[in-house]
Amino acid sequence: MYAFNLAGLLPYIDPLPHAIVLTLWLSTLSILLSIAVGLAGALCRTSTSLILRLTGAAYVEVLRNIPLLVVIYLIYFGLAQVGIRVTNFNSALIALTLNAGAYMTEIFRGGLVAIPRGQYEAARSQGMTAWQLYRYVIFPQVFRIIYAPLGNLMIGIVIGSSLASVIGVEEVTTWMRRAGDETFRYMESFLAVGVVYVALAQAINIGRIVTGRWLLSRAPVGMRR
Amino acid sequence: MSPAVAAYWYVLLKGAAITLWISWLALILGGLVGLVVGLLRIAPWAAVRWLAIAYIEVFRSVPPLVLFFGCFYGLSYALQLDLSPFTAATVALTATASALMAEVVRAGIESVTRGQWEAALSQGMHYHQVFRYVVWPQAIRVMLPPSVGVYISTLKDSSLASIIGYVELTKSGLLVRETTGISFEVLLIIAVMYFIINYSISLVGAALERRFGYVH
Repeated sequence: MYAFNLAGLLPYIDPLPHAIVLTLWLSTLSILLSIAVGLAGALCRTSTSLILRLTGAAYVEVLRNIPLLVVIYLIYFGLAQVGIRVTNFNSALIALTLNAGAYMTEIFRGGLVAIPRGQYEAARSQGMTAWQLYRYVIFPQVFRIIYAPLGNLMIGIVIGSSLASVIGVEEVTTWMRRAGDETFRYMESFLAVGVVYVALAQAINIGRIVTGRWLLSRAPVGMRR
Repeated sequence: MSPAVAAYWYVLLKGAAITLWISWLALILGGLVGLVVGLLRIAPWAAVRWLAIAYIEVFRSVPPLVLFFGCFYGLSYALQLDLSPFTAATVALTATASALMAEVVRAGIESVTRGQWEAALSQGMHYHQVFRYVVWPQAIRVMLPPSVGVYISTLKDSSLASIIGYVELTKSGLLVRETTGISFEVLLIIAVMYFIINYSISLVGAALERRFGYVH
């Protein structure tokens, strides 16, 4: 009979906080970069130029239909053969950002196309500057549409960051593999890491709900839920 | 394609077939489990609902890669079973797919308005009759397009089975890469194959959406 023994992992507890920090660091960088990529992508996809629209659509379709693992291998192993050396952390970051950026593009595009053209014209005819138009008219409404999928995507990025372990980035999943390999306490290390990921995902969930309430309560009365 | 790689075309094609097969299997199993969990998620008893929510949240937030390790090594040691990579991969993929499908099922059933339940009940129909003849035929139409999305997501997750040594498309590619020593080209071919498969499936999804989706 298998004796469940969580204490067997105690010698490995020291590097765990560092591993969690690395997972968070990789995810946060990727979230910030993919927001930038997503904004640029959404502007391309809603642009008046056909070439920009097609480029944006091609980017989204290609990256959404290829597994993240294959993108990581392509950047880490594939580019190395062509003579471009990228460190394992940067490979994971680039792959994760390219992948998440495609989903960000679709989220931002969905928010932008939901606002009728007439609102831009109405706001400009009231003498609003472009900044005022986006700050007081467009963004509050776009935010209401995108904030739920944005939270889900952030959780998706944290989940995706686990793949960095296949090219040796010392994050939480790598910790699980090492602790399991060296103690044969695979079930225990799996459960411990499962708790870490569920906690991270729930933290993002709660953060999303709190910022959502806070920002929506400041929206004009007609736009509150 | 260089001749060294072209010599292994059948390895890659076979890998693609295995990828399609295992993700299809996981989608079906995940759909069945997801149907149960999705119905429990909207059950009239709070305790049952919370259990279903916990199931969905856990399997949506634990990375599939971690689940693959948990199934392949964790379950093998804990249950003293010698799980094959295929079994472990199927269980792990099913766990993730079922959490996604549970939400699809819930959204589908909740898309049928309360008024229809009340109208059908007031006509003297039984609960199970209302579900079978009124709610389900409408819910399944709402569920079809997002199910295609779950299939694509499962298909992409199945690439992680390569890590535990299951020879599907990604692992086939890595084997060809090791044999020929050609990295970039082989990986690019794998990426293109995934793209062709998933893009074709997404076209089917878009067609379903046009056919069955809500008219806004």
